[in-house]
Amino acid sequence: MRRSPSAEAGAASATRRTAVGGRSGIGRLVPRLPILGDLRLGRRLGWVIPMLIVLVAAIVVYNARAIAEQRGSALVVYTAARQRAFVERYTTDVLLKVDGFQADPEESAEDVREPVDVLLDGGSVRAPQGGGARVEIQPARDWRVRRKLEQDRRLIDALIRTGDQLQEGGRDDRSYETNVTRLRVLSAQLSSVSNDAVREITQQAEASISRLVRIEIALGLLGVLAALALGLLLRRAGAEQAAQFRSLVNNSSDLITVLTPDGTIAYQSPSVQRVLGRRAGALVGAALVDLVHPDDRHQVNAALTRLMEAPGATASFGCRLQHEDGSWRHVESICTNLADDPRVNGLVLNIRDVTEQAALRQSISDLLHNLARRSQGLVDRQLELIDELERNEVDPDRLDELFRMDHLATRMRRNVENLIVLSGVDQRRRWSESVPLRDVVEAAVAEVEDYSRVQVAGIHDLTLSGQAASDVAHLLAELVENATSFSSPTTRVEVSGGPAGNGYVLEIGDHGIGMSDTELAEANRRLAAPLAADNIAVSRMMGFHVVGRLAARHGIRVQLRPRWFGGITALVLLPTTLLGSAGEHPAMAPPVSAGVTVAPEPLLLANSTESRWQPRAHLPLRRQAAPAPDRGGDTDPAAEAGDPFG
Amino acid sequence: MASTQARRRWAWALVLVLVALAVAIPLTVARRQEPTPPGTLQNVLLEDFEVRQEAAVVPAGTVSFRIRNQGPTTHEVIVVRTELAPDKLPLQDDGLTVDEEGEGIKFLEEVDGLDIDDRETMVLDLAPGHYVLYCNLEGHYLGGMYEALTVR
Repeated sequence: MRRSPSAEAGAASATRRTAVGGRSGIGRLVPRLPILGDLRLGRRLGWVIPMLIVLVAAIVVYNARAIAEQRGSALVVYTAARQRAFVERYTTDVLLKVDGFQADPEESAEDVREPVDVLLDGGSVRAPQGGGARVEIQPARDWRVRRKLEQDRRLIDALIRTGDQLQEGGRDDRSYETNVTRLRVLSAQLSSVSNDAVREITQQAEASISRLVRIEIALGLLGVLAALALGLLLRRAGAEQAAQFRSLVNNSSDLITVLTPDGTIAYQSPSVQRVLGRRAGALVGAALVDLVHPDDRHQVNAALTRLMEAPGATASFGCRLQHEDGSWRHVESICTNLADDPRVNGLVLNIRDVTEQAALRQSISDLLHNLARRSQGLVDRQLELIDELERNEVDPDRLDELFRMDHLATRMRRNVENLIVLSGVDQRRRWSESVPLRDVVEAAVAEVEDYSRVQVAGIHDLTLSGQAASDVAHLLAELVENATSFSSPTTRVEVSGGPAGNGYVLEIGDHGIGMSDTELAEANRRLAAPLAADNIAVSRMMGFHVVGRLAARHGIRVQLRPRWFGGITALVLLPTTLLGSAGEHPAMAPPVSAGVTVAPEPLLLANSTESRWQPRAHLPLRRQAAPAPDRGGDTDPAAEAGDPFG
Repeated sequence: MASTQARRRWAWALVLVLVALAVAIPLTVARRQEPTPPGTLQNVLLEDFEVRQEAAVVPAGTVSFRIRNQGPTTHEVIVVRTELAPDKLPLQDDGLTVDEEGEGIKFLEEVDGLDIDDRETMVLDLAPGHYVLYCNLEGHYLGGMYEALTVR
């Protein structure tokens, strides 16, 4: 019973694989844009978005390049224009120097050469603005411009040669006049060529700007068209998705209901017609609880009230809803609080009709119960037979064998009773009178095969409600047997009790190997919330489910805890409502102040306590209260302090 | 069935190609063929800073000057009738350009703004006499960009 299954991991990983592998094809290429939210991108839409991204990137790159080119063109024009000014200055400097004035044609010559060299070969020039920063200029690429600039360079060479001749010969040179004329002609030709080059470069810059404007307009139009297409496709995709959603909601077998905070139905999916035979429109404005079975209303109200206090939380509950024809449909509901979502502003219930499953579950439970009842009858007859044999047997060896048979049959009976408990049918024996708690504990111990290892101590003189006595004995028997089964045969299992703030705690402690944290958590989960019979893997942890169910019937809390020195302690908190003082029961035995060890000798239960109560029919007749070492009211101080489960 | 459709597609493609050729070829040929200029054809070549012509003497009557500028600078061609020597044309006050209204020359026609590789045809009715063809941009004439033409 302690071995817990751990097989959910495979299913979970399979689910993850399915979820991850769901996207394929264009879906992987298309970036998930937050602006699109959950809108699924269709194949057509998937192409538009990358196209828009490429388009925008192209526009940005082209603009950056065009701006750089235009800046370069402006600098080229500026540089070419400066060259004309330098030619004129050089000519003037040469003539001034020849005439004896202060001038430096050499420096001017360098200035004359620089612009054309930069324009032809590339280089940096000082920008007219920007604090004198130098800007790189690419070599001229157009063949017309290059031819003119090369001609410019040749003329500059000729100009400077002529200037040099003039400076060397001076005014007295025979060719002075010729050289002056030549200088002026070359200067004029340079001016003409420079003008030509500047005009050409300007024309090209204008053409480039014009081209840029045309391309920008085209790209802009393309962008507008793409944006329009995207808008249309988004609209269409949204409409398709909305239609798909409507179709899913309308044709779903589940109901989708939106409740306002006061429990009124604000939206009801049309599938309610199929499930409850009611029109969706007629339900809007009605209270949900009006449809709920009266027995389930409290539970539904409680669940909805709890959920309303936790925005964003999800809860599930089952209930019965009334069909239009008056019948009741079993439903399971998963409810999410979306009160904080302004688009919903309420609770969203996803309701599934599980009437068929409920009927199937009931059928299984009935089958289980019938089989168990039949087996129970046979085992009871077997126990009666063994009982008679035990009473008449005097041979100790044969009597011992009969006791062993008796115990096996008792275990079989408890297993059968477990099935009855799991089937959900409540056919337990009830007693009108309260029963001494100690008797119930001893009766439980007596059902265990290794009863001789069980030491009962410190049970207070309390009585237990007769309504719960049989179930508590069964519950304790399961826990004690679990303790004896999973601990060494040489160790003892201690059963003790002590008052708690809200009841009485029974402790069943063993010295076994204990349980891992995972197993312990799983076992406690099963104890706290036992599953239905058809959901239980009967071979595993069945005992915990039985204990959980029995405990749930009477508001008893059961919890397993590890012991610091090894083993497990099962804490059973009996609520105050089940308890009474010893005086309430006329046959109550004096309180046991010391530990009680169940002796191996058989003894009738009635003889031991003088009680009329026989917790379970045909218990093995081998009980005898024996004095045990006084443990001085050996109760757990912690348990006395209050809620042991706190 | 499929092969028939494929054949039909190929046939349509062929028709389209033929139509395109039928339109493109005449247009291309028409563009390449320049109209035959009237009268005597005189090819004139301009380059920095020189004017060259096919013949120094042409018969009187209609003369078509087919001008081509080899550049690299932009040039113009001015035709004047004069009895002056080609290098003795009157200059303007700047001393760099010919005075087209100066004494001894008669302005006939000009073609300006010829950029590199531009072509232009100038048709003139020339009576017998002496003519000069020159470029009158700054410094071009003085740089030697003129040529004498005799019409008989």
